[in-house]
Amino acid sequence: MKTSMILGTAAVICALFVSVPPASAHHAFAAEFDSESCRDFNGKLTRIDWQSPHAFFYMDVENEDGEVENWSFQTYALITLRRNGTGRHLFVQNMGEDIWVRGCLAKNGRELYAAAGLLRFEDDVLRQVGQIQN
Amino acid sequence: MKSYLRYSIPCLAVAILGFGLSLPAGAQATDETEYIVRPLPPGGPPPLLANGRPDLTGHWFPNGAGQGVSGRFGVDPAALGTFDREATPESPPVFQEWARARIDAMTPTELELSKSSVNCMPRGVPAIWLQNPYTTMLIHKPGLLAQLYEVLNNWRVIHLDGRPLPEYPEPLFHGNSAARWEGDTLVVESTGFDDRTYILPNGWFHSDQLTVTERYARPSMNYLIVEITVDDPEVLEEPWHSAPRRWTLGDGEVYEFYCTNNRELEELQLLRELELAQEEEQ
Repeated sequence: MKTSMILGTAAVICALFVSVPPASAHHAFAAEFDSESCRDFNGKLTRIDWQSPHAFFYMDVENEDGEVENWSFQTYALITLRRNGTGRHLFVQNMGEDIWVRGCLAKNGRELYAAAGLLRFEDDVLRQVGQIQN
Repeated sequence: MKSYLRYSIPCLAVAILGFGLSLPAGAQATDETEYIVRPLPPGGPPPLLANGRPDLTGHWFPNGAGQGVSGRFGVDPAALGTFDREATPESPPVFQEWARARIDAMTPTELELSKSSVNCMPRGVPAIWLQNPYTTMLIHKPGLLAQLYEVLNNWRVIHLDGRPLPEYPEPLFHGNSAARWEGDTLVVESTGFDDRTYILPNGWFHSDQLTVTERYARPSMNYLIVEITVDDPEVLEEPWHSAPRRWTLGDGEVYEFYCTNNRELEELQLLRELELAQEEEQ
């Protein structure tokens, strides 16, 4: 299972580079988020705001000092999420559960805020919920 | 582009090994296919209206797949986008010197703030056909063409009864339109545009002299081709012609999309304030 997950994860990340055009005319990801400041987040899902144009979800993440911080994450537009199979119900069903997110920090210095790229609920399915830069 | 090349070769091997192992439900590759989302076939001849003209009715997706492709895995690159830049290259607009200087003076943040995807202003015509990642439903009757744009719940009605352009057009986001048939191509000419819209999300603004010509064709059941000509003698040195943009027939919902909670505007405005403060310090 672990090998499958690693291979699957690698394949998905690779697919982003291979099949998605690098530039997006719709949004310039790099204008708002720092592709050099991306990291993994592990924590518990605490809230979902499902309002157009973008969903925002929140999760409690433990920092290096052992303190719990509540981070917010921006996603793709709701329409895009729906069409790639990531509906609101998945967030609702996973409320309070552990999730993993790969996200990039905001350039404007806003604390505890990032753009989510990849997300995994407890079902271990890797989902692309936003642009990923690295 | 460097990322694309750097990752392509090793990724091909990894993708072959990895696809199908932990991908989202409904996105599993089969044993026989490299991609799970491919370009649609032509699909046979187009339907016709009672008057014998091509019926443009359909739920149209801005790609070659007839379904959503963003955030999906295993999408054939040939199914992405509305045109192939190598097969049908699109020349850049040729701006007058003053217009070029105005665009070049925009910072990346200002450019981002100008985008309708950030500020939630209507895209307007022709941007709604050129810079729109969401779907459009067309309802075509002999006397009218209704365009239901998913983005921002915008809509537009084009009359097909031969009425001329208004003598005194008011500035509208979608302009004032008159339509005619040239063979099997529906040609729509529009004037009178709200000057708060951009033609493309690269700072390309327009004047009140903007004229837009849209050419709609449905060469087959599954494909809608839209070509745009932009004439703006106050901003451009010459008219600009788009590549033939393909939209493909899909199904499913035209989703509600009222832009009421866009925090990008606030975040980017904050970033711009920081940039201005830094510029003052320097």
